[in-house]
Amino acid sequence: MSGPGVGWYLIVAAALFGIGSLGVMLRRSPLIVLLSLEIMLNGANLALIAFARQHGDLDGQIFALAVMAVAAAEVAIGLGLIVAMARRDMALDVDQASALRG
Amino acid sequence: MVTGAWICLLAPLGGALAITFGGPWISRRTAGSISTLTTFLAFGGALIAFFGLWSRDAEDREQLSTAYTWLAAGDFQVGFEILVDPLSAVMMLVVSGVGGLIVWYSMGYMAGDEEERRFFAYMSLFVFSMLLLVQAGNFLLLLVGWGLVGLASYLLIGFWHKRPEAVAAAKKAFVMNAIGDATFALAIVLLVWNTGTLELLGVFGEVDALSGTTVNLVALGLLGGAVAKSAQIPLHTWLPDAMEGPTPVSALIHAATMVTAGVYLLVRAHPIFEAAPDIQSLAAILGAVTLLVAGLVALVQWDIKRVIAYSTMSQIGYMFLGAGIGAYGFAIFHLMTHAFFKALLFLAAGVVIHHLSDEQDIRRMGGLKSALPRTHLAFLIGTVALVGLPPLAGFWSKDAIVASAFARGDALGWTLFVAGLLGVLLTGAYSFRLYFAVFQGKPVTVTQETGESHHAQHAEGPLSMLVPVGILAVLSAIGGLLSIPGVWQPFTHWIEETGEPLVEATARQDYLTSAISVALGILGIVLARRAFLLDRQLVSTPSAWRIFERKLYFDELYDALFYRPAAALANALRRRVEEPVIERSLDEIGSGTILASGGLARVQSGLLRTYALAIAFSVCVLVVVFVAVR
Repeated sequence: MSGPGVGWYLIVAAALFGIGSLGVMLRRSPLIVLLSLEIMLNGANLALIAFARQHGDLDGQIFALAVMAVAAAEVAIGLGLIVAMARRDMALDVDQASALRG
Repeated sequence: MVTGAWICLLAPLGGALAITFGGPWISRRTAGSISTLTTFLAFGGALIAFFGLWSRDAEDREQLSTAYTWLAAGDFQVGFEILVDPLSAVMMLVVSGVGGLIVWYSMGYMAGDEEERRFFAYMSLFVFSMLLLVQAGNFLLLLVGWGLVGLASYLLIGFWHKRPEAVAAAKKAFVMNAIGDATFALAIVLLVWNTGTLELLGVFGEVDALSGTTVNLVALGLLGGAVAKSAQIPLHTWLPDAMEGPTPVSALIHAATMVTAGVYLLVRAHPIFEAAPDIQSLAAILGAVTLLVAGLVALVQWDIKRVIAYSTMSQIGYMFLGAGIGAYGFAIFHLMTHAFFKALLFLAAGVVIHHLSDEQDIRRMGGLKSALPRTHLAFLIGTVALVGLPPLAGFWSKDAIVASAFARGDALGWTLFVAGLLGVLLTGAYSFRLYFAVFQGKPVTVTQETGESHHAQHAEGPLSMLVPVGILAVLSAIGGLLSIPGVWQPFTHWIEETGEPLVEATARQDYLTSAISVALGILGIVLARRAFLLDRQLVSTPSAWRIFERKLYFDELYDALFYRPAAALANALRRRVEEPVIERSLDEIGSGTILASGGLARVQSGLLRTYALAIAFSVCVLVVVFVAVR
């Protein structure tokens, strides 16, 4: 098997996860937050696949497929929520959607 | 024979269950018929048992029949078993016979009441419980019957549950009886502890092996139960109040059967009491005190049923006196004759009350002789039998008890003898005061009005009321002939097979006592007649009058001794503990929780990004912790 070692893949995965989580924490537009979530998920997927390749079995890859399915569902719901917010003329700002404050 | 006893025991239970489960599907009249028929069926069973015993040899007259083992704890076993012997056979006959007559009477008396079915179910339950009490072959089953009759009494006193007085009276009866039940139960615990058995015959066989203290304590416990159940001083205050129940209930439970259960217990457990002679004498003394006090209080009461209730207490006092000095045969004999004439008096009083549309105050009665001629005759027979004039029932039984006290001879015997004779004088006075006030003299206006309006509908009540009254009148008249001193005493000899008497009066002592007591009884009647003719009260001193009218302040005394301290303690606890400690601490816990949750709620900001930051931060901390711990 050729190509870079598993360490490189993990660095890229960590970078993706970090970028994604920063996006979730810092950005206020729900669309961008969703996008950043996807980036985090893909970072995790990359790590899974890298380990699967290192161990030479398919478990990690199957798990990554499951994560993608969940991500697709999550995007569907998330986008639906955003569309609903837009329909009600609510500001597209996660900081202002704070009705659950205790 | 034993089969007859089982039929006797189970028939009323079957009746009670049939009425209960029949519920609204059977008519009210059917309920009454079921109750009456099953009670008479029980009487038939009792007759079979009685004649079965009769035909046996004298030594062979104690039959124990066990249905099954009810409780088993190691070596200790209690069976569901009945004991058929001369004593229980007589009690079965009295309970089911008089019970059957009274239940029959109630079909007429209760007609038209809203909850007749419930009434008859209770009545059947009571008859079953009472039969269980008198047939029980061991002390535990006896206690079960003891408790069940208390329950039935409670239910029936409070039968008219919409009347607050009736409910209060029921509660009072239950609480006072519970005191007796508790001492009874303690005595049973002592018996199990020391003899390892509860079978009546087994316990009696081991009495000699017990220590003096144990026997005294057991006897005292049993006496406590007997005193409470039989309304003797000092646990007597519930009986007069129990008159709030329907009149047939007063006749059956509070005159003829349940209240005499204490006497039955004294006679049944006589080997225990004989081993504790002090306690047995205490029973006789309590009986003597009760018969005097109740006689005095009865002189001034206004309620027709209360007068008869005090008279019941007084007569049971005689029975306690008899059982206490060891005249068992006469105590049970008086129990039986008393059941006849006291049930008769109550049922006749019931006819009067019915006739006057539930009027019970004798000040508003009078001259009922012409309106109720047959009831008048029955009431007169009952009253004369109560006073004890020959040849009616009370004469033979009461005088025999007093003569036994005479025959005892020592100081206690003389005291009891004098008390018994004074009681006869009081009995003559109060019972004829009642008779004159109700039946003689000018008809009172109120009486006339109500009498006229109801005359056509129920002059003396339906046949189902008159026939039992008639039968009881005949029994009261001739019932005493079963035991004539010196001539013919089959009844007392029959009972003496169960309990050998400790004293026996000679025929001369008997006739001397009878002469004195008849003279005193007639003196009492004359006094009552004179007071009635002069329109005066029997007790003319106002201060004495007040004391008697307040029933010698027993209620007030118990109120001051027990109720008020308990209420004061409860109030103090409420003020000092309940309100400051418990209630306030609850408030504090509540407000503290609100405060804490208010603080915690501020963490939930509703800002999505803050949550994300918190999660990320926590994960970082966890990672650091894991790495560090490793």
